[in-house]
Amino acid sequence: MRTIWPILKRLGLYFLLTGATVVMSFPLFWMISSSLKTLEETNSAGIIWLPKVPTLAAYISILQNPDFLRSYFNSVFYTTLALMGTLFSIAVVAYAFSRIQWPGRNFVFFLMLATMMIPPQALIVPQYVFFNKLKWIGTFNPIILPGFFAGGAAMVFLLRQAMAQIPKELDESAFVDGANHIQIFWEVVLPLVKAPLATVATFLFVGLWNSLLAPLMYLQTVKLYTLPVYVATLYNINLTVQQWPTIMAAAVLTTVPLMVVFFFAQRFILDGVVVSGLKG
Amino acid sequence: MVKNPYYDAILMAAAAVLFIVGSSLLIGFAARLIAKVLGASRRKQENTFAGYLFASPWIVGFLIFVLIPMGFSLYWSFTDYRVVSNAAPKWVGLENYLQLILKDTGFRASVVNTLYLTAVGLPLQMGAALLLAVLLNQKMRGERVFRMAFYLPVILGFNTAVLLAWRLMLNTGTGIINQIIRGLTQIFPPFGYLNRALIFVQELTSAFFLGLSNGKFNLLIKVWEAGFPAENRIPLWVQSPMWSKMSVILLMIWGCGAMMLIFLAGLKNIPKELHEAAEVDGAGPWKRFWRVSFPLLTPYIFYNLIVGLINAMQIFEPIYVLYRDNQPLVPSTISMVYYLWQASFRHFEIGYGSAISWLILLLILAITFIQFKLQDRWVTYDLY
Repeated sequence: MRTIWPILKRLGLYFLLTGATVVMSFPLFWMISSSLKTLEETNSAGIIWLPKVPTLAAYISILQNPDFLRSYFNSVFYTTLALMGTLFSIAVVAYAFSRIQWPGRNFVFFLMLATMMIPPQALIVPQYVFFNKLKWIGTFNPIILPGFFAGGAAMVFLLRQAMAQIPKELDESAFVDGANHIQIFWEVVLPLVKAPLATVATFLFVGLWNSLLAPLMYLQTVKLYTLPVYVATLYNINLTVQQWPTIMAAAVLTTVPLMVVFFFAQRFILDGVVVSGLKG
Repeated sequence: MVKNPYYDAILMAAAAVLFIVGSSLLIGFAARLIAKVLGASRRKQENTFAGYLFASPWIVGFLIFVLIPMGFSLYWSFTDYRVVSNAAPKWVGLENYLQLILKDTGFRASVVNTLYLTAVGLPLQMGAALLLAVLLNQKMRGERVFRMAFYLPVILGFNTAVLLAWRLMLNTGTGIINQIIRGLTQIFPPFGYLNRALIFVQELTSAFFLGLSNGKFNLLIKVWEAGFPAENRIPLWVQSPMWSKMSVILLMIWGCGAMMLIFLAGLKNIPKELHEAAEVDGAGPWKRFWRVSFPLLTPYIFYNLIVGLINAMQIFEPIYVLYRDNQPLVPSTISMVYYLWQASFRHFEIGYGSAISWLILLLILAITFIQFKLQDRWVTYDLY
């Protein structure tokens, strides 16, 4: 009895964890399974776990939809451009907050942390009016450019914490060799924070790729729609029959980049770079 | 006018970079000049220059995208201002605020709905996160795979595509979730009682909150008088005003992975010796969790509570994707941010929208402040 108890406990634990994994992954499974079904199968009254004859018809139909393809390209385009500018500016600002001693630094840093309390939605109304004055509604500018100004205080904070852990002696000796701050930033500090940079890049990518509210407000024309905005239009409440296989095929194609990025970045995220940044 | 939007965007991005570099240099030189006038050492002047040069992208962005907009929106919140009519803002004093707080039933409904998501959804979400973290904290093989599976929903999160998959699953008649509930009830009748009990509790809570939002509690009385749900009852997820918010809560629970990671870090920080000592004293696993782990977890619970509150108050995407234009359901689901979006960008009432955003901001600040005040009563920082 004494030897069998720990084994039972272990089995129970694995049973629970497997159950939780099945539940948590189920929406993904269902999305993929439904995308391979026919319309009759998705609307059937009985449970069809997997289609008897998987069909790619839904994928063929969505891939022939020019609006979907264009919105896919729009998403890739805007995410790439915004990610580059945001990541770079965040790294620059994090450097200022961690590696340089300047008067006013603590005040500005405190101000930045305080902005984390402001929900971004509280600012959308005046920002909309501002972009409207600039005649930027119906262009990509409002969803790309704000990030260039180190958008995302939490991400700056995360990178700052990582940069602050690099020993001071490293840049001291570089200074003695005649290097300036730009060289130290680029050649000494950035190579040492690759993992936190990857984490921040992942979070930024996910945020940009999933973003709905800002693109919805600013893009306005179907030609500029990003994926989340366009895919939302596929589900039309006024229709009695939804084209579920096609919608789910679009959903699978939309989530593929997220899953690929997560697969490669999971060790950075799950090993707790985020968490260790929180404690400091 | 716009020939190629991609070309334009790249050009504007380049212009923005030039603007940032230029303004940063300007601020940097100005800071150095001030340092020089104040008689700082050469080294200090250089550091002042470099510091402001590197921090300027954020400082400029803060001015353009946060401080100035907030000032304007504060002013507009006291005016009648519609962007389409092209008329200048007209000062109306506190009228927008009074209208919102005293008369606007739509806004009141959105506040109560958000409150529901926070009061019911957040504890469930944190509970699920804590449970998963405790399960993962047992040393075992394959932990990484489980962690990935539990965190993936956070990445997919509120993406429209994933929300639509949920919409398909939550169909009342043919959706897989209700089909599974029906199937389990047939195979294992006690599950049916559990299901009906949960339906009863959920509908009572929901009817109570709906009563709060419109001031009439007849729905609550009706649910109470109807008594224990009939045998063939199933949840009406995205169909009934009493269930529309529960669907959003399901999504919140599904995305508990971020909180789980925080809890897991907290659990791993608990010194083993404490557990060993408690075990020597004869405490069982249940008691050890509540007397040893739980008090030491309170800082992490506090962190998750604050972040979770702020997030719950900002929910928008699920409401937009699941319920937009679904007229009978809208009053029962709209969140504060959805209402803000609707007022500002469907009706273009900028003054009114500004007042809503200030109320949201004040509410978030007030709740966060209260939480910080209350933390002394239950958060243990002793060991850190």
